[in-house]
Amino acid sequence: MAEVNETVKINKWDGAAAKNAIDDAIREVLTGDLKCNESFALIDGRLFLCALAVGVALYALLWDYLYPFPQSRLVLIVCVSSYFILMSILTLYTTFKEKGIFVVAKEKVGNNTRVWEASSYVKKHDDKYNLVIVMRDSTGKSREASFNKSFANYIDTNGAVVQTIVTNEITKLYNSLSSEKKEK
Amino acid sequence: MLDSLFDDVKRMNKRQFIYQVLSFGMIVSSALMIWKGLMVVTGSESPIVVVLSGSMEPAFHRGDLLFLTNYPEEPVRVGEIVVFKVEGRDIPIVHRVLKLHEKNNGTVKFLTKGDNNSVDDRGLYAQGQLWLTKKDVVGRARGFLPYVGMVTIYMNEYPKFKFAVLACLAVYVLVHRE
Repeated sequence: MAEVNETVKINKWDGAAAKNAIDDAIREVLTGDLKCNESFALIDGRLFLCALAVGVALYALLWDYLYPFPQSRLVLIVCVSSYFILMSILTLYTTFKEKGIFVVAKEKVGNNTRVWEASSYVKKHDDKYNLVIVMRDSTGKSREASFNKSFANYIDTNGAVVQTIVTNEITKLYNSLSSEKKEK
Repeated sequence: MLDSLFDDVKRMNKRQFIYQVLSFGMIVSSALMIWKGLMVVTGSESPIVVVLSGSMEPAFHRGDLLFLTNYPEEPVRVGEIVVFKVEGRDIPIVHRVLKLHEKNNGTVKFLTKGDNNSVDDRGLYAQGQLWLTKKDVVGRARGFLPYVGMVTIYMNEYPKFKFAVLACLAVYVLVHRE
């Protein structure tokens, strides 16, 4: 599933599909060409919340099946309220913690660990792909760079993502963020 | 065509795929939890039912959606429309209370009849049963929405159609990212 398929075709008028494809390409660059280690903590947190919510629902279903309704009332109250609380936590998590971050990568430079976070968003009915890359080093300083270009810059007429262009763009951002530090 | 349908899935990594399955699970769970929540709030084991027959015309027609409550402290009264279960029948019945006897200790027994039926329901009850009691009641009708339930009726009459619709939805949700 994770292998890169060169002949993947994307309908570039489908904003979500195009965004996902470019996100994937950028992840490839950060974790592949730039040799950072991907950190899964953020996405694992979301998966944990989702799994917990589905588990609570399954438990309520099973309990209600074993002890039909009037008996299962208390368990149902607990399950239903905790399910909706979990859903609100999940919403808060995705809007305030994840904020569209699709890859977190860690990189060791000397005894410094730098964390790269890339997030992207596309406005509805818009062809602009907005990317924000934030770099944090162990001293707590962070710098960010962003760009905003049309999908057409990354996807050719056949609907394939042009990996070399993405690599160049990301490497440029990566270098500028890394070198700024040295100048200081 | 089928190949391109699964393209999205093929390109997912392990975590994206798990998330896809979980978000499908969450859609189903949300519906389930809303239903269970309604059960708790209304006190009825089946807070929404669809009228399947014309026995309550002109009050309710086939396909009407009924909203039920079943609070133990509210007494059953003559003239109310109750939904009740009869032993040996899978599907509950929606009929009006015709006669009711209430004892001082609060226990009740009552007889029901469909507005559009010429006789009372004793013929529908279990063998030898003459009265209904509180424990047979699923709920009492509190509101209705006309004809919405026709969709459910068609779905149940053509199970293949139902499964086809459900399968399409499931595939769509599982295959498409976000």
